[in-house]
Amino acid sequence: MRILLVEDDPDLGPAIARALRAEHCAVDLAADGIDAQHLGETEAYDAAVLDLGLPGRTGAEILTAWRANGRALPVLVLTAREAWADKVTAFKAGADDYLTKPFRVEELMMRLRALVRRAAGHAQTRIECGPLAFESQTGQFELDGLPLKLTAFEWRVLSQLILRREVVIERLELLERVYEGDADVDSNSLEVIIGRLRRKIGAERIETVRGRGYRLTCGGQPA
Amino acid sequence: MTRWSLRTRMMLLSALVTLVALGLAGWTMAGVLDRVVTGGVDQRLDAQLAVLASTVRGDGSVDRDKLAARQGALAAGPSWRWRIDGPRETLGSGDFPVLRSPFPGPAGAAPGPLPPAPLDGEDAKGRIHARRLVLESSAGPVTLTAAAPGRVIGRPIRDALVPLASVIVALALIFAIAAWVQLRFALRPLAALVAQIGAIRRGERTAVDEAQPAELQPLATELNALAAANAATLAAARQSAANLAHALKTPVATLALTVAPDTPEAAQVRRIEGVIRHTLARARAAAVNRRASTAIAPVARDVAAVLGTLYPATDLRLEIVADARIAIDAHDLAEILGNLLDNAARHARSTVVLTAAADGAVLTIDDDGPGIPAERREQVLQPGVRLDEGPAGDGFGLAIVRDLVALYGGTMALEQGPLGGLRVRLTYPGGATT
Repeated sequence: MRILLVEDDPDLGPAIARALRAEHCAVDLAADGIDAQHLGETEAYDAAVLDLGLPGRTGAEILTAWRANGRALPVLVLTAREAWADKVTAFKAGADDYLTKPFRVEELMMRLRALVRRAAGHAQTRIECGPLAFESQTGQFELDGLPLKLTAFEWRVLSQLILRREVVIERLELLERVYEGDADVDSNSLEVIIGRLRRKIGAERIETVRGRGYRLTCGGQPA
Repeated sequence: MTRWSLRTRMMLLSALVTLVALGLAGWTMAGVLDRVVTGGVDQRLDAQLAVLASTVRGDGSVDRDKLAARQGALAAGPSWRWRIDGPRETLGSGDFPVLRSPFPGPAGAAPGPLPPAPLDGEDAKGRIHARRLVLESSAGPVTLTAAAPGRVIGRPIRDALVPLASVIVALALIFAIAAWVQLRFALRPLAALVAQIGAIRRGERTAVDEAQPAELQPLATELNALAAANAATLAAARQSAANLAHALKTPVATLALTVAPDTPEAAQVRRIEGVIRHTLARARAAAVNRRASTAIAPVARDVAAVLGTLYPATDLRLEIVADARIAIDAHDLAEILGNLLDNAARHARSTVVLTAAADGAVLTIDDDGPGIPAERREQVLQPGVRLDEGPAGDGFGLAIVRDLVALYGGTMALEQGPLGGLRVRLTYPGGATT
């Protein structure tokens, strides 16, 4: 899960980024409105966390611009403004969810996971794929009913695959959704991660579609 | 030490003036009365003296036959007495009292026969009023004295003074009542002003009536300026408290992210969050605009659009009579409907219904969720209390709404709803506005 975090506060921004990374997310942090709008228009994100009061350009302006440019990524507005009138304005600009500061990081994570799950077209919180199950509320994977231990990179790759199970995800897109914007990506590292995941969940589960990308197959047991 | 009241001062002053004036009037009248009565008595005494004088012969002897013939003119009544002191003999009433002359000195020094001189004296029965005339005869001076009892002067004066005093006391009473009524009438605008200032303090009005008697007009103007300055100071203080609370949200959010959960530090962070919320709610309450009139439907549609995004599976139905309006500021109405519909949608299985009557005086929000048992309904209105253990919601929504509704003079009731879940009923006694 790669998140665009837009927060101008020099302490809160990095603190949220740390908390999200602790939950296995890849996080790009933008501290002003102009950077934020640019990143949202050019990079691939699973979701954005957007502050409303920003230098350069307000959150509502950024959101309106993204929606006008056809950017459909789920956006959670995270703001100190708690009035319903502000909430209405944010949703009219295209927000998908709204959380007021101060907040619980668990709640932020849960809402982000729900946004990403719904954006991928899943109504149910539990996504199953053969012996594999993803509890999208908590971010826990299970294999044959037992908790599956994953590193942050493994989790990012597998959550992408299971949210679009049975669909080929292009390698470049997968790379984009797994690594942070300023990461020094080794072209082979994705293969290494896929290899480790195959050892954990069974090699036949992750199909390599040559020249295109990867697909998680559920082995004829549709969930 | 309390100063004397205006009423006391003015009543005292009025009483003093009345007493002095009436005292003066009484004293003057008594004096006039005394002169008139004494004058009458003096005339009779002088007439007696003239009778006595006519009996004295040129040689100083008394013509007793003549005296006896005129005795009738001398017998005016008991205790009216007379005396003739001549060089040869002394005649007269036997019990003639000792009299003090206001002109001590040799009797012979008295100048001429007229006028008679007044004398005073006393006997066993009281004061004596007398007149004396000295006649010159060949044998020497003859002193004639006629005396009347004091009561012939005192009694008529007393008889006249009793009704006079009654009239004076009655006048004093009338003056006192008039002064009291005047005071009441004059001080009534002051009492009204005091009542209005009390109303300002209780927040029932923002200014006193500027239409005042000329003497109170500057006071009313100054009071209103003071009240306005006070309100502005208070609003500024609340706004700055709100700004402070608002500015604290981001650092507190940072703190909340950095402290470990379930530690004393985390509890302190939650306390700070509570204070922030409370301060903001109070500042918002202070900004309540009671003269607002808002169309319900557009606000409800905006809020419902938000909730439609947040709870896509919930069927949110708005049954609002077209053009229904309510006397609540649009911002606060969004707050009320947002919190209540959010709460309902969070607990609903599939359906939430908002109804608003034509006059906007009754709003109901129903859901088909589990509802709240009657005995716990009051409990959920306490700030920070949540009955469900799910992660969503902050537990302040219902309490905030209840306080906000109360600020606008409405009431919020939790009931068993027709859909099986909770019904929240908002009632505004004077809610209808057009």
